[in-house]
Amino acid sequence: MTIAPEEQQTQVPEGHVKLTIDGQEVIAPEGELVIRTAERIGTVIPRFCDHPLLDPAGACRQCLVEVEVNGRAMPKPQASCTIAVADGMVVQTQKSSEVANKAQEGVMELLLINHPLDCPICDKGGECPLQNQAMAHGRATSRFVDTKRTFPKPLSISSQVLLDRERCVQCQRCTRFSEQIAGDPFIEMLERGPSQQVGTAETSDIVDSASHTSAGEPFQSYFSGNTIQICPVGALTSAEYRFRSRPFDLVSAPSVCEHCAAGCAQRTDFRRGKVMRRLAGEDPEVNEEWDCDKGRFAFRYAAARDRIRKPLVRDSGDGVLREASWTEALRVTSEALLGARAGAGVGVLSGGRLTVEDAYAYAKFARVALGTNDIDFRARAHSDEELEFLTGRVLGTSPGSAVSYADIEKAPAVLCVAFEPEEESPIVFLRLRKSARDRGTRVFHIGQWATPAVRKTFGELLTCAPGAEAAVLDGIAEHASDLDEALRTDGALVLVGERAAEVPGLFAAVDSLVRRTGARAAWVPRRAGERGSLDAGAAPTLLPGGIRYDDERARNELESLWGLEGGALPARRGRDTAGMLAAAARGELDALVVGGVDPDDLPDPEGALRALRAAGFVLSIEMRPSPVTELADVVLPIAPADEKSGSYLNWEGRSRGFEVTLAGTGALPDCRLLDTLAVEMDVDLFTQTPAAAAADLAKVCELRGSTATGQPVEAGSSARRELGTGQVWLATWRELIDNASLQVDEPYLAGTARRAVLRLSPATAQRFGIERGKPASVHTELGTLTLPAELTDMPDDVVWVPARSPVSVRSALGAGHGAAVGLAAASTEGDRG
Amino acid sequence: MSDPITPVLTKRWLSPNSWRLSTYEQLEGYTAVRKALRGTPEQLVSLIKEAGLRGRGGAGFPAGVKWGFMPKDEEKPHYLVINADEGEPGTCKDIPLMMADPHSLIEGCIISAYAMRAHRCFIYVRGEVLHCMRRLSAAVSEAYEAGYLGSDILGSGFDLDITVHAGAGAYICGEETALLDSLEGRRGEPRLKPPFPAASGLYAQPTTVNNVETIATVPFIVNGGVDWFRAMGTEKSPGPKIYSISGHVEHPGQYEAPLGTTLRELLDLAGGMKDGIPLKFWTPGGSSTPLFTAEHLDVPLDFEGAAEAGSMLGTTALMIFNETVSVPWAVMKWTQFYRHESCGKCTPCREGTYWLAQILERMVDGRGTEEDIETLLDVCDNVLGRSFCALGDGAVSPITSGIQYFRSEFLELCRQNATSSAASSGGDAQSALVGAQS
Amino acid sequence: MGMFDPIKGFGVTFSTMFKKVVTEQYPEEFHPTAPRYRARHQLNRHPDGLEKCVGCELCAWACPADAIFVEGGDNTEEERYSPGERYGKDYQINYLRCIGCGLCVEACPTRSLTMINFYELADDDRRKLIYTKEDLMAPLLPGMEEPPHPMRLGDDEQDYYTYGPELERDRSGKDEEALQ
Repeated sequence: MTIAPEEQQTQVPEGHVKLTIDGQEVIAPEGELVIRTAERIGTVIPRFCDHPLLDPAGACRQCLVEVEVNGRAMPKPQASCTIAVADGMVVQTQKSSEVANKAQEGVMELLLINHPLDCPICDKGGECPLQNQAMAHGRATSRFVDTKRTFPKPLSISSQVLLDRERCVQCQRCTRFSEQIAGDPFIEMLERGPSQQVGTAETSDIVDSASHTSAGEPFQSYFSGNTIQICPVGALTSAEYRFRSRPFDLVSAPSVCEHCAAGCAQRTDFRRGKVMRRLAGEDPEVNEEWDCDKGRFAFRYAAARDRIRKPLVRDSGDGVLREASWTEALRVTSEALLGARAGAGVGVLSGGRLTVEDAYAYAKFARVALGTNDIDFRARAHSDEELEFLTGRVLGTSPGSAVSYADIEKAPAVLCVAFEPEEESPIVFLRLRKSARDRGTRVFHIGQWATPAVRKTFGELLTCAPGAEAAVLDGIAEHASDLDEALRTDGALVLVGERAAEVPGLFAAVDSLVRRTGARAAWVPRRAGERGSLDAGAAPTLLPGGIRYDDERARNELESLWGLEGGALPARRGRDTAGMLAAAARGELDALVVGGVDPDDLPDPEGALRALRAAGFVLSIEMRPSPVTELADVVLPIAPADEKSGSYLNWEGRSRGFEVTLAGTGALPDCRLLDTLAVEMDVDLFTQTPAAAAADLAKVCELRGSTATGQPVEAGSSARRELGTGQVWLATWRELIDNASLQVDEPYLAGTARRAVLRLSPATAQRFGIERGKPASVHTELGTLTLPAELTDMPDDVVWVPARSPVSVRSALGAGHGAAVGLAAASTEGDRG
Repeated sequence: MSDPITPVLTKRWLSPNSWRLSTYEQLEGYTAVRKALRGTPEQLVSLIKEAGLRGRGGAGFPAGVKWGFMPKDEEKPHYLVINADEGEPGTCKDIPLMMADPHSLIEGCIISAYAMRAHRCFIYVRGEVLHCMRRLSAAVSEAYEAGYLGSDILGSGFDLDITVHAGAGAYICGEETALLDSLEGRRGEPRLKPPFPAASGLYAQPTTVNNVETIATVPFIVNGGVDWFRAMGTEKSPGPKIYSISGHVEHPGQYEAPLGTTLRELLDLAGGMKDGIPLKFWTPGGSSTPLFTAEHLDVPLDFEGAAEAGSMLGTTALMIFNETVSVPWAVMKWTQFYRHESCGKCTPCREGTYWLAQILERMVDGRGTEEDIETLLDVCDNVLGRSFCALGDGAVSPITSGIQYFRSEFLELCRQNATSSAASSGGDAQSALVGAQS
Repeated sequence: MGMFDPIKGFGVTFSTMFKKVVTEQYPEEFHPTAPRYRARHQLNRHPDGLEKCVGCELCAWACPADAIFVEGGDNTEEERYSPGERYGKDYQINYLRCIGCGLCVEACPTRSLTMINFYELADDDRRKLIYTKEDLMAPLLPGMEEPPHPMRLGDDEQDYYTYGPELERDRSGKDEEALQ
């Protein structure tokens, strides 16, 4: 210990301790691990098994330091990743202690004796903690001259993850992640001693080890990609990224995931204009260090062979889409839209995947260039009640003013309504699991069966028939006093999913529930662009900046801000998605502008296609061919997320800005495209770039402050619901990995999708003569959907099918969640509708 | 110390049908439990503390102090776990005890459980000893029938259930936290401490893990009292102890003697060295304790005496080797055992034993070099005190002590190699490759 | 100024006229280089024709001129180009950038990349100076077989690295014998 030149007594704050690391006095919060305290003062203690978000293990022994407590030196070096700071502790790391240094070098040498010399062929080479540490602290030569442990390699532990057991240093990060964070303990350590290895039940079958079991399940997890990222060696590698490139080839760019409304920070690595991989970025307030497999692996859609890169115009002669110049395509489009504007009007379906800036351009384009409020971002089942709820409770909220991830972590109780967290918002699911596991948060789910998410959030399930969710909420006070009590505690939350729009009265029920209990509600949509589109005004009743269509004063202010004549903005309430499609089918709309909309997601896919056929002119703004482009008169290509900048609003209302990753591809963002198109129509949008659009939107937002009105939600009308003979209630929702259009060309990702099954209760199965594992089918007058039956503990007279795996329930049956459908045993699996 | 030794723990072992309840009851059995149940748990804990009973499983931690760590309230269920996973090489005291006198253990369990307010006791028996499992299970059911177990034992209002659980053959499960993991149905791996079992043990509830012999001693202390108990053994290590003597002696077996008895005295009891071949080396407490040689014949075998002489008392498993045995060979066999039994959780033990065993195998095979001895010692240094649990420490003690006392023998093996073949193996190429790792 | 001064300057010319000419008539006359002269690169093969390149990109990493592009590929049992898991699927050297420093050869962990005598690296088309894997692969010697094909010299890549050099020595010994 050196004597401080001047006697200076530093005050130790409450809940903190003072300790000495390498002669330097540090103040650290109680309970902090020595390894992190040392890191804060710039001393990096090497480690492998330690991970700040996992429980300490102390397995690798790489982080040994010398510790002295109460003036007494501990007899052995201690693992700094397992020992918490204490007052008066004296720590000597490798920097000041020969013992610690020798211990670390010794462990390093031991780790390397069985490590193969795979660095040249290993995907981790160049970014490998073991490699770096071996270079920094290891011996230059090896004393080990005997036989190395060998295993056959690689072993595929899922379609995404490959395991090389020779390279494994048994740090157990992957197994601990799977068990603790994801709750999918499908990988485990097998065998013992030098033969210890990571494996799944399947791999233990392959290696025929003593831990042989065939009762286990394969490694099916939506979060398996994280194990690859946290592996400190090249033992777990990605099948998709295998041998594709080296770290020094890659240019890394921070990015934001475009797949769901979680708003995960990511890192996109690309090589020569091609995205090679995506990694989870670090954002403690959002996704911590995790990412779901969809966000991590589904990015090849942008490089798909069939991507549309040039405008297409339908030839007036043979009716076939042909490549055209931008000049021609824009001229044709503007002429058609001007004509339609003068005629019956134009409807805009902007889709749920837009950035805030792009959504704003759509919203402004509809109002200014098309003179209509007929714009809706909701390319899915929707209702007026939903829009009211969003206007009343969601619009304009942000983490400061409304529910955030941090609130989930702190909440004493969370109620999930019409929301399947693991499938619809995986990072919200991880937070729910974390808070339930670490802090004992009670998680309640209202649904039809105990999904894996219910189990993994240690949740309590309130079952009901699909469509009866509103009634359940209304009955909470009476029938579930326990839940009622929990919701009344400070910080309790209600999370509502997109499925709520399919249940009449549910949003009103949520609204009155939170009014009654004081819990806070949050809306967690599935798509990344929905929340931003709402605030940017791509909705039939809302103009940008939260201005209601019927608020004349605000509208006038907006007119002057936008430099329009007084009364230029439409005052009529716009039609929603279904309304526009119906109108188009009836000939009441002359043209449709369609963004990224998949008709299979719409409430009535057949009707949507009819409307597209009936509309005089269809402009499709798309990336890849779709049923919409097939019917479009003009197709204008736009940039995928990697090739543009912008920002998403995640479900919290947190702005998630990102810059261009792949520059110079020539692909245009929607806002630029619409701006140019508007110019062609003699209108200025001032959205030439995302930055310009954002600046313009910011000015609009200042007008009214874009805040939720807080007005009560009125229940939508619900028709009397009764089951016919041979009918059951249909429950359905989207799974994370299904046949969605952004998941094309991803065979490895698709390999970990959940098996598509039809779920029903044993009693229902018996009534309909359906056997477990045998095909069963649900049918409506429109069609049939057949899947293998799975018996599940759920209410009788209810059947559950995944919404889009393998086919869209909507297009097969024309029915959605809460509908009455026929059910029957199917003789063969071939007659799938 | 030269008094004729009166057996305590083993006094019933030679009686006919000693394992039967009837025999046990005839020979003062289940008298201590009656006495104990009349007292309070606190009295029992302080009795054991005063008696100075130290754990017989190897570490010698005072049993009374350990019991005192258990919470005083009964907010959570308390568990008593008996470590009967006797796996230390050379150790053979718990299994004979459970074979010959299972009821003394059961009686000890009742008293100890009462003292720590546990109503559930698990006896984790080594999986390989099926015969012992059978006998113990039979004894437990006899005790249930006689009302010594179950609810309201002997009208005292105290309830206790005993579960006999079979391990699956893993040395590591003798480590108390790994044992708890295994008992919970998981992979047996030592747990991070703290929390210690007394705070969060079996199923995260307050738990005490004790050795069979420790618990079997308890009824005798209750009956005999502190002074009687302290009359045996030494000041800091009082009481009787079962010494397992194996190897090159005339009559190998279990010998009960007060702590502090020397090997010279024990050898007399065991009939001396077999065929009169002189003693070369021996272990005082199983293979995990550093070796002793003939010069240590007069080391008092108690916790302090063994430690002072540079070893540990361990499980008092005295493996005696005469001059016909090669030290490197014996050390190799032990190291192979540790390689096989390492649980794999931590690097030093998993990789260290793997490496050490290979070097020793090579040496014994006549392919060692003098540098290998230094490598052995250095690797041992990198394992000792660096591993997660004490298994790693135990694994290197035969090697370091073997080289300490018998370096010449290791050197001799290497010299033979050097003279017989001058050519070196392909090791240089290997090291060059590893060095180039980037 | 002397009378011979005007022709003095031709002294060198006249004296050189009768000496042996040192000008090399390249490309009409081709002069071989010294045997260990290092010019163009070559990707070598194992004795059975499998490629030595594992696509590790260490050459590209080492290259100070950024002249090398490599992309790895995954060997399968059906389609094998090199022993082991990985092979160089795409390999390009841009000779417009290459400075011939040889750092890539030093970096190569499998001795796949070496340099040969061939030095005629000039062309009138920039594209032709980007040599691809086909251009760089060593020719098939007797006993070699064009990949993809299964491993012929052993069960795994270890056998190739352990016994390969030996086999190669044996063969070159035989070749020399044949020559003699």
